[in-house]
Amino acid sequence: MSLSKAEADAELAAIDDVVQRVRQSVIYRVSGEIAAMWGGLQFVQLAVTMLAPAHTRGWSWLFVDGLGVALTLVMLRGAGPARPALLVRALAAFALFYGFGFLWSYGLFHFGGREMAVFWRTLFLFGYCLAGLWFGFGFLAIGLGLTALIFAVYLFAGAAFWPLIALVTGCGYILCGFWMRRA
Amino acid sequence: MTEGADEIIHQPIRLRVMAALTAPGCRAEGLDFTQLKKLTGATDGNLGAHIDHLVRAGYVETHKAFVARRPRTTVKATPQGRAALARHVLFLKEIIASAG
Repeated sequence: MSLSKAEADAELAAIDDVVQRVRQSVIYRVSGEIAAMWGGLQFVQLAVTMLAPAHTRGWSWLFVDGLGVALTLVMLRGAGPARPALLVRALAAFALFYGFGFLWSYGLFHFGGREMAVFWRTLFLFGYCLAGLWFGFGFLAIGLGLTALIFAVYLFAGAAFWPLIALVTGCGYILCGFWMRRA
Repeated sequence: MTEGADEIIHQPIRLRVMAALTAPGCRAEGLDFTQLKKLTGATDGNLGAHIDHLVRAGYVETHKAFVARRPRTTVKATPQGRAALARHVLFLKEIIASAG
């Protein structure tokens, strides 16, 4: 069987299109699972904040975030063939994330507890917004939607701030994670 | 020069099925029928017929199971199918190269 150049071009383009779509679905699936995992950790964070002795509460984030970073790396590693460069880049992304976060929240300004909670959560979602510019509308919608909800909690929740921020970010990440997995 | 187009893979739906199942990042256990339907844009019956065709050629294998009480068919490329797609892609690239 012989083919023309145009037919060959069309077949290669079809293959490339499918490969890109599979790649995007893998990105959505893994990102969704990671988002859902961080959502679960928001509830762990709330439980630690409520149950831990007062003098350890300020540092509870270190335990929860450390666990989150470790689990994220494990999930990325489990997502496909081991790609050391991907894990190194993910670690670098976390280092930049925490570096910028500390510079702003401790170095330049001294946020209170609530401002700190809002700042770190929205900084995390800012990453989702940027990712949306490359990987699809889903990331952007999650980033902007949850950021708006978090600001609403900050402005209007009053005394219910901590349970509500855990509920909004925890449930938000989990629901968005499942939605991304199905997308 | 390779032998020519693979007549089984040359069909558009089967080409997309094989491309999806061999794409980097595709799970080792393959893709399920619903995912393949999304990726190929085919209807249930049409996709089923093409998958049967690929199974008969030995290019893919299927696995049926029940997940949450619902039947779920997973399709996975065989080494023979991967080699056939690689040959077909090489043939396509040769056509483009020879056309200048």
